Amino acid sequence: MIDVQNVRFTYDGANFALDGVSLHVRKGEFLCILGGNGSGKSTLAKHLNALLIPDEGTVKVQDMPTADADCTYRIRETVGMVFQNPDDQLVASLVEDDVAFGPENLGVPTDELRERVTKALEDVGLSGFERHETHALSGGQKQRVAIAGVLAMNPAVLVLDEASAMLDPRGRAGLMRVCHELHERGMTIVMITHYMEEAAQADRVVVMEHGHVALEGTPDEVLVQARALAHLNLDVPFAARLSLDLRDAGMAVQPTVDAGKLAREVLTLGEAGGVCTAASASAAPLDAVDTDVDFPTCEGDADAPALIEFQDVSFTYDAAEAKRQRKRKQAPAARQAKWGNSPDSLWAVRGVSLQVRRGEFLGVAGHTGSGKSTLIQHMNGILKPTSGRVLIDGTDIASKGAESKVRGSIGVVFQYPEHQLFAETVYKDVAFGPRNLGLSGEEVDALVRSSLERVGLSFDELAEKSPFELSGGQQRRVAFAGVLAMDPQVLVLDEPAAGLDPASKRSFLEMISRLHDQGLTVVMVSHCMDDLAAMCDRVAVMNEGRLLGVGAPERLFLHAHKLKEVGLGTTEPQAFAETLRAGGWPLEQEKLYTEKDLAGMIADACGANSSGNDVASPSPAGSEGQVVE
Amino acid sequence: MNPGFSFGSYVSGTSCVHRLDPRTKLIAGCVFIAVLLCAKTAAALVVCAAFTALCYALAQIPPSKAARSLAPLMAIVVIVAVLNLFVTQGGQVLVNWGILRISEAGVQTCLFMGARLTIMMLGMSLITLTTMTIDLTEAFEWVLKPFARFGVPAHELGMIMGIALRFMPQFANELAVVYHAQVSRGARLSNSPARGVRMLTSLMVPLFTSVFRHAETLSAAMDARCYHGGEGRTHLHPLRFAPHDGAAVAFMAVLAGCVAAIGYLL
Repeated sequence: MIDVQNVRFTYDGANFALDGVSLHVRKGEFLCILGGNGSGKSTLAKHLNALLIPDEGTVKVQDMPTADADCTYRIRETVGMVFQNPDDQLVASLVEDDVAFGPENLGVPTDELRERVTKALEDVGLSGFERHETHALSGGQKQRVAIAGVLAMNPAVLVLDEASAMLDPRGRAGLMRVCHELHERGMTIVMITHYMEEAAQADRVVVMEHGHVALEGTPDEVLVQARALAHLNLDVPFAARLSLDLRDAGMAVQPTVDAGKLAREVLTLGEAGGVCTAASASAAPLDAVDTDVDFPTCEGDADAPALIEFQDVSFTYDAAEAKRQRKRKQAPAARQAKWGNSPDSLWAVRGVSLQVRRGEFLGVAGHTGSGKSTLIQHMNGILKPTSGRVLIDGTDIASKGAESKVRGSIGVVFQYPEHQLFAETVYKDVAFGPRNLGLSGEEVDALVRSSLERVGLSFDELAEKSPFELSGGQQRRVAFAGVLAMDPQVLVLDEPAAGLDPASKRSFLEMISRLHDQGLTVVMVSHCMDDLAAMCDRVAVMNEGRLLGVGAPERLFLHAHKLKEVGLGTTEPQAFAETLRAGGWPLEQEKLYTEKDLAGMIADACGANSSGNDVASPSPAGSEGQVVE
Repeated sequence: MNPGFSFGSYVSGTSCVHRLDPRTKLIAGCVFIAVLLCAKTAAALVVCAAFTALCYALAQIPPSKAARSLAPLMAIVVIVAVLNLFVTQGGQVLVNWGILRISEAGVQTCLFMGARLTIMMLGMSLITLTTMTIDLTEAFEWVLKPFARFGVPAHELGMIMGIALRFMPQFANELAVVYHAQVSRGARLSNSPARGVRMLTSLMVPLFTSVFRHAETLSAAMDARCYHGGEGRTHLHPLRFAPHDGAAVAFMAVLAGCVAAIGYLL
């Protein structure tokens, strides 16, 4: 289908982004190209549909060389491409106009256009969205519109260039579902990603490094090479890590990336070892499994002083409509979107009572649109509650003069904070906050210096550089420093690791933990349950604007069943433990399992001939960066 | 996040005015302005006002919606009217404050201009109330097409307008996010002018970098979908004139005739 032969390519004439890549994409396969940032995977993607032409070597699409300008449009018609940022690739204001854009360019007659648009939207599960405005869709829906726009051109190959990187888990799941459905119907799919979980679902995986193909093979062959992958700045899927740990402990399990498969194997071994019985398995169907621990819905103890207190807070972006509804005393029947939250729901946050205690690390979990972002914008008075009160250190933020006091003591870091950089030097950008507080030159200087150091950047090296010259990860650190320079007591973070590759994400989260250890109170919004469980003292779960529950992760994440009801998961090790329990494996009811616990527990139970040494040193989640061969 | 942004004031509906070809509405709008400018008497204005009211009734736009879309434009009407009040002189002098004099003719012109502009704004509002902006850009492209042979890039202008409209709500959102972020860092518009300037740069620089970032990927995305200018492009919604477009033309002709007749008779 696509044949890449010894391709070399350079943007600047000096460094080769692609340095001798050969690759063959077969008809009808699901190929995944993995790689860390700067491995050349996106550059390769752009070669597949003639957006870039190789400097050396050839790329042929159905025997048409991309270097031949006459073939360009035929190649682009054959190889459709979806890009990373959902906001950047939609051309028209209305969904149907955008989907029609490609075939319009190809000169498809109007009647057929209509057919193609209807068909393409059906294929991505967005029938009925024809007249919707593109900007009002969720990120996942936008990406699916982008896919529909490509499908309407009737391509033979679909290339997704990190199309899921900026989506939340639900949007990502929807995107993967669409890709699988298309693949089943014979579409060739080339997916570029740094999510291993996605690669695990492919037919074949190619791993890129420094413009080369580093590894190639089926997911099971490639992804279990944990050490090589960690070295390439990629995450190893949980199941692969666990299966390797178990093998290290001397158990006879196949290395795999499929958690379900691993669970079955472990259960078989367990039965053989007499740990569990198949009889008890049938007695406990999966969805009935729940613990006896109460779902923590409210916080009883108030031993630690509350720094931020929400008292029955509700908020709506449309106050006038809320008033009207209150008069009518009835809510109109809300239209429900097929996937995702309804855009018509009136209350962004409803009846939330919550305390943030001094010195704690509070996590906030929930879907996009569940009210998390609205909630944290109340914490420094950017939004004022429509009803209810928010108290900061005992002061109502709605009261006069409270605002400026609050702004200094509570630092909010928004999503993608690097997009807010503006000054000509790093120094000036970081100094923006303290200057606004009216501090003197020396004080500002000291704050800039200390806050840059706190985010792990060197003041002397970077202070006079332009923030726009820095790498993405460094830019985000500078933006962080800009908030820290206000010397806040509380740091409120909205998805601080969104869009980072695994290595940057890890070091970033470590930095946040360090800041917390230094005495900052931290509130962090995240989609990743494993991060929340590992880092937080308490976790609050939001669902459709309401606070579903708040409590310590050890208690909260035991409720896999309840969390699943609102479409959230629990931590990966806990989910695996639940599967084992459902299979009849005797497990403690009131314990949140970590990967280390699981590996040790399973190995012990099966009486594997572990030398003790091996069990003690399985690589715990999140630290395989340090594993040295 | 904040979903409260909408560009234009489109009210969805299926009335005969909504269903008119956007080109008809655009041209009819121009004719309407011309007719209004030719209307020199109160009687002619009354005819035009009645005509506008009839159009609103046909479009089934409630008066409250019409008033809301008119409100921001009223400032212009008031300014023009007040200017006329003082500038036009003639007839009996009613008020005399030093250099400021208001005469009978001034009051008359003031009222006349005010009424005329209000009717004009109402007419234009009707177009934006019943036509989606995207359709208007296509109509605009069509109107410019004859000038393409003189080097006017009609298709490109239409495309630019379309993309600008598409990104408007997006930039509004991004601006809101940046604004909140900078406000969280203590930025404020008030206080000293130097601080105000700093606040504005802290908003504008991120906005412009974001524009460039978007533009770069957007052009690649358009390339990937085979965009190569207006040549050989087809349309999902080709503009087609229908019989009721003819009716609208006749309707405008009647109006123009009435106004001309009034001007001739009186």
